[in-house]
Amino acid sequence: MTRFAAFGKTSIAFRLIAAVLLVEIAAAALVILVAFEYEEHSHFRSFDVMLRGRADSVLGAVQDAEDAGDNVMLDLADLHVPPEDIYEVWDGRGHLLGRSRNWPGSAGVRVPHDDGIFRFRVEDEAYRLLRFHGTRIVDPGDPSGGKLRFVTILYGSPTNRVWRAIYGAVEFYLAGMLLLVLITGPLIAWVLHRGLDPLRQLAALAGRVSADRWDFSPPASARETAELAPLTEALENALRRLEHSFNQQRTFVSDAAHELKTAVAVVKSSLQLVAMRRRTPEEYQAGNERALADTERIEELVAEMLTLARVESGPTPAATATSDLAECVSKTAAELETFAGVRQVDIAIDCLPAGPCAVRLGAEDCALIVSNLLMNAIQHSPPHSQVDLCISVQDAGVEFKVRDHGEGIDSAALPHVFERFYRSDPSRARDTGGSGLGLAITKAIVDKAGGRIMLTSEPGCGTTATVNLPLA
Amino acid sequence: MRVLLVEDEVRLADNLATALRDGPGFAVDWAADGEAGDDAARNLCYDLVILDLMLPKLDGHELLERMRARKDATPVLILTAKEGKEAIVQLLNAGADDYLAKPFDLGELIARAKVLIRRGKGAAHPTLHALGVELNTLEQTVHRNGVLVDLSPTEYHILEYLLHHPRKVVSKQELLEHLYDYNWEHHSNVIEAHVSNLRRKLDAAVPGADPVIETLRGRGYRLSPQSRGESQTESQR
Repeated sequence: MTRFAAFGKTSIAFRLIAAVLLVEIAAAALVILVAFEYEEHSHFRSFDVMLRGRADSVLGAVQDAEDAGDNVMLDLADLHVPPEDIYEVWDGRGHLLGRSRNWPGSAGVRVPHDDGIFRFRVEDEAYRLLRFHGTRIVDPGDPSGGKLRFVTILYGSPTNRVWRAIYGAVEFYLAGMLLLVLITGPLIAWVLHRGLDPLRQLAALAGRVSADRWDFSPPASARETAELAPLTEALENALRRLEHSFNQQRTFVSDAAHELKTAVAVVKSSLQLVAMRRRTPEEYQAGNERALADTERIEELVAEMLTLARVESGPTPAATATSDLAECVSKTAAELETFAGVRQVDIAIDCLPAGPCAVRLGAEDCALIVSNLLMNAIQHSPPHSQVDLCISVQDAGVEFKVRDHGEGIDSAALPHVFERFYRSDPSRARDTGGSGLGLAITKAIVDKAGGRIMLTSEPGCGTTATVNLPLA
Repeated sequence: MRVLLVEDEVRLADNLATALRDGPGFAVDWAADGEAGDDAARNLCYDLVILDLMLPKLDGHELLERMRARKDATPVLILTAKEGKEAIVQLLNAGADDYLAKPFDLGELIARAKVLIRRGKGAAHPTLHALGVELNTLEQTVHRNGVLVDLSPTEYHILEYLLHHPRKVVSKQELLEHLYDYNWEHHSNVIEAHVSNLRRKLDAAVPGADPVIETLRGRGYRLSPQSRGESQTESQR
C-alpha cells in the first residue's frame, strides 16, 4: 500500500485530500475575483479623482486672452501635467483653445457629448477620458463681478499603469493562495494519515485473526474513536459469534468422527472376530448377521448426520410446504404402535384440535420431529406405562406435547439434551441410547419453522417435551 | 490372565470380550461406564485394563489418573477415537502403557494385550522358561525338556500364571481371580483338579524328573524351589 492511496482502489484519505484542495482552490479563485473587483474599483476611483484634479488644473490654465473680444486662451506655461496625458479645451463658442501635443485631437474620434468619464483608445493605448463643462471667470476684479466664460475640457490619461497596479495586487493574492494550497496539501495528507492510524491498527489486528487464533483485542485508539467504535464493536461481535459457531462445528466434526470410528470399530471387530478361527456354518451365519446389524448402525448414523446437515444448511422450507400437525401426529403414532407394543408402552392421544392446524413444515420434517419425540418417550418409558400426546391450538400457534412416565432426566443433563451427540442415558446401550442426534435434529427443524421446543423433566416422574409452532 | 474391559459401546465390548476369551483365553470382566470400571479396578485382580476414553459418568482419562494415584500399577491399554498426538502424549504421561486408535485391528489388540501382561509380569520375551519347562505364550504351547506337553486351556493358564510369578506362593483364590471372570462359579476344588492334572502331565513328559509345581498345604502353589533361580536367569535372556 502506498502512503495515501492504493491506486486502483478508492481511498478515503485520497478523496478527502482532493476535496479539501478543491474547496481551497475554489475559495482562492473567489477571493482573487473579489480582490480583483475591489482593486479595480478602488484604483479607478482614485484615478478618476486624479483625472478631475488634473482637468481642474487645465481649467486653471484657461486665461483671459487680453484681446479686444472677451476671448480666453490656454496658457500652457504654468500647466504641469504628465507628458503622456492628453487634453483638449474648447470654449463656449466651439473654438478649440488648445490641446496636448501628443494628441491629434478628438476630431477623428467619436466623443460623447455628455459630461462624464469614458474609456477611450488612442493608438492601441487605453485611456480614461473625462469630459466636463467648466466655467472660468475672466477679470474677477471687475466691479460687475467679472465675465463668465464657458469651456469644455476633455482630459485623458492612459490606464495601463492602473491595470499594472491591479494585476500586481491580484498576482500577490494568487501567489499567496498558491502557497497556501501547496502547504496545506501535504499538511492535510499528514494529518489524515495520523488521523487514520486507529483504522490501520484495527485492520492489522483484525488481519491476524484466523481459525486457530480467535483472540481479537481491538486497540484502545479504535475503541475511543467515535467513527470506529461501532465498527470495532461489530467486528468483535461478529468474531465472537464466528468463533462460537466455528468451535461448535469443530466439536461436531470431532464428535461425529468419534461416533463413526466407534461404529466402524464395531463392524471391523465383528468381522475379525468371525475370522479368528475356523467356524461352523451356523457360527459364520450368526457372525455375518451381527456384522450386518452393526453396519446398519453406521448407515443410520450417517443418515442422521446427513439429515441434520440438510436441516441446518438447507434452504428454509418453502413457505408453501405445510402439513397438518394433527394428521401427522396421528399417522406417526400409528406407525410406532408396533414398536411401543414390543416395549409394552401405550400411546394415548389425549387431545386433538377440532379444526385443521397447518404448520410450516414439510410432511417429512413434521413426521421426523413427531417420531423423534415419540421414540424418545417410548424408549424412556417403563413397561406398562403410557405416553401421552396432546395437540392444542392457541392464539399464538399450535402446541404439541409428548409426556412419558419414565425415569426423567437429571436436571444437570437437561440443558445439554439438544446438543449433538449428547446422551443423557449413561449407558450407550443401543436400544435406548440412539445416536444422540435425534433431539438436535428435532430442534433444528423446529427452529427453522420459527417455533420453540422445550424439555421439562421431573426425575422419577417423567419428561415432557413441548413444541410450539406458528400456524401457517 | 484376567482383563478388565471398560467400554460403553455394547457391541464393541461384546466383540472384544469374546475375542479375548476365545483367542488368548483371558478371563474378561466388562464395565459399561467409568465408575463401574473404577470400582472393578479397585479389586486389583486384573492383569490388564483395556480402557475406552469417552465414557459416561467418569471418563477414561480420569479413571486412569485415579488408578495411578492409588499406586495401582496394572498395565492399561487405551482405546481412543480422538485425533491428534497431543491427547496421546497426555495419556501416556498420565500413566497409560499403550494405546490403540479406533477402528483397530482385533489381532493387534490381542497381541498388544499379551505384551502388556507379559511386561507387567516383568518378562521381556514371549517364551517363559523354568526347570526345563518352556512355555510359548504366542503359540500357547508347553515343552518339557523338548517334549511337547499337551495341556488344556485352564492348565496352560495356571502354568503361565505360576511361571510369571516364580517366587510367589499363589493361592487357589488368586488363581481363581486371575483365570476366571465374574461369569464363573468360584469353586476352589476346580483349581485343585486342574493343578493335579497339570502336575501329572508335566511329570509324565520326562520320567524321573523333579516335580515342577509344589503344593503348600493350606497356602497354595508355587514352582519348585530348585527351579526358581533357573527361572529367573532364563526369563532374563
